[in-house]
Amino acid sequence: MPWETLIFFLVGALAILSALGMVAMNNPVHSAIFLVICFVQIAGIFVMLGAEYLAVIQIIVYTGAVMVLLLFVLMLVDMDDLPEFHTAEPLTRVIGTLLGVMLLIEVAIAIGTRTISGAPGTDTPEAVALVGGNTQAIGRVLYTKYLLPFEIISMVLTVGVLGAIVLALPERLGLEAGRRRDTISLGHPRGTDTVLPIESGAETANLSGRSNAQPAGVGRTLIMATDPDDQPVKVGGRRS
Amino acid sequence: MNDQPIWLTFLVAFIIMNVLLIGMAYMTYFERKVLAAMQDRMGPTRTGPAGLLQPIADGIKLLSKEDLIPRAADKWVFFFAPLVVFVSAIVTAAVIPFGQTAHLFGRDVNLYATDLNVGALFVMAVSGIGVYGIILGAWASANRFSLLGGLRAAAQVVSYELILGLSLAGIFLLAGSLSLREIVLEQQQNLSIGPLEIKNWYIFSQPLAFVIFLIAAVAETNRAPFDLPEAETELISGFHTEYSAFRFSFYFLGEYIAMIVISLFASTLFLGGPSGPGSESHWWLGIIYLFFKTIIFLFFYVWLRATLPRFRYDQLMGIAWKVLFPLVLLNLVVTAAIRLASDGKLF
Repeated sequence: MPWETLIFFLVGALAILSALGMVAMNNPVHSAIFLVICFVQIAGIFVMLGAEYLAVIQIIVYTGAVMVLLLFVLMLVDMDDLPEFHTAEPLTRVIGTLLGVMLLIEVAIAIGTRTISGAPGTDTPEAVALVGGNTQAIGRVLYTKYLLPFEIISMVLTVGVLGAIVLALPERLGLEAGRRRDTISLGHPRGTDTVLPIESGAETANLSGRSNAQPAGVGRTLIMATDPDDQPVKVGGRRS
Repeated sequence: MNDQPIWLTFLVAFIIMNVLLIGMAYMTYFERKVLAAMQDRMGPTRTGPAGLLQPIADGIKLLSKEDLIPRAADKWVFFFAPLVVFVSAIVTAAVIPFGQTAHLFGRDVNLYATDLNVGALFVMAVSGIGVYGIILGAWASANRFSLLGGLRAAAQVVSYELILGLSLAGIFLLAGSLSLREIVLEQQQNLSIGPLEIKNWYIFSQPLAFVIFLIAAVAETNRAPFDLPEAETELISGFHTEYSAFRFSFYFLGEYIAMIVISLFASTLFLGGPSGPGSESHWWLGIIYLFFKTIIFLFFYVWLRATLPRFRYDQLMGIAWKVLFPLVLLNLVVTAAIRLASDGKLF
């Protein structure tokens, strides 16, 4: 028992710290890393609760797929080129706070009702063991009691996939008009070809002709590259 | 399955980890020798008898190189990214069963670090974390070629992980379990087809899944001909362009250990793992069987690298989504139907 308590507090503390780090970080990529760490810790808590299947699915779906794709986007879009990222509008702040408080109340109610009533749920360890483990138990519940919500979610996801395909392939569907012909280049703030300001030594700063105090994003225009598809195609020849 | 003290489990895990590290070193030797033989060369011969000390010399060389960090790099992420690849590759081995139990020094020792009841999914999950090492390292390098390599790795691994996972779903249906130990136990039974009696290895009942698994595994570990994230000719080694010395060696270790672990995983799932004649009574025979089954897959990896040119990126993604994905779904549906029919529930 003491082992498990110790590990639980370690995992829990790390989960809270990484959640705080996710909010506190300035760089969105760092925030994403902390969120990933938080997900892994939560998966650890699931394992300690005996819900191994949930733990693994949490990692496969959220850590292994959703966050990877999110990072993908964060890396491609340079945050310094999006000024609205740093100066949150009042409306955004109000909505964000409201949603956060709503979520908090929801979770508190969910935990509170169970704690106040004091009754354990129907899925006791014995009931779970009877159907052959928590993987089987989740499968049974998903495909019987929650079959309708499950199918509706599948439909919504399918619609989402179709939407993504339509957005990605406009020309094949005859939606040529209004299509943006620009793609955002890999605008990594420190990966660009400009001379880096060096912390010490004023002469190098003079060489580069820029003041050190200037933040990286100021005065930089959004780098747009033309879509390679715009290149004229030679008739009868292959595009290289 | 018996309960054993926690220190014993740690000892087993420690041994597995070190065997993997040594295995990784000699995997590079094996790869160079096999590649050399296929290209009519000698391979390493100078260091030690038949070049056997070459991996150790390589290791010392890597560790003594200068450690360079680009000035524009994100220091902390740059530092941690290779470790993520390395650790996730090693942790995967925790659920691989090397046998059932062995009786050693008056104790019953489990020949696996843990028997997680979702072991097969655990392998998928942890290898999914491994991709963070690649994309974060690529981003932290502040190099466009690296970033391109990292983005390729992300798209490739996410696509092929789906196929890898679905190709195993047929096995889960047949075995009725996600635990690798139980999948191995299931494969020790005999399957009788008329007069023939063969082992119930899933390579026989799931041949299509096996082929798809092999292809997806090569892509998942970023090996030739699917090594697009580090395509030397276009990306100058891709995500690890800026890495040197021991930081680079962690990427290198991670890649090779991932290869070994996925080969172990493949032998466990499709070739019956440690099962074979006499392995029930002598546990060490099982380990030897598993070793040779794993060598088959590792040889296949090297063989592919020596034979096939690198794919183009759109071809890589096209194969995943337009060929393998429909095939793997077909395999799943057919397997499910057969399973239902054999239980008499279909009609």
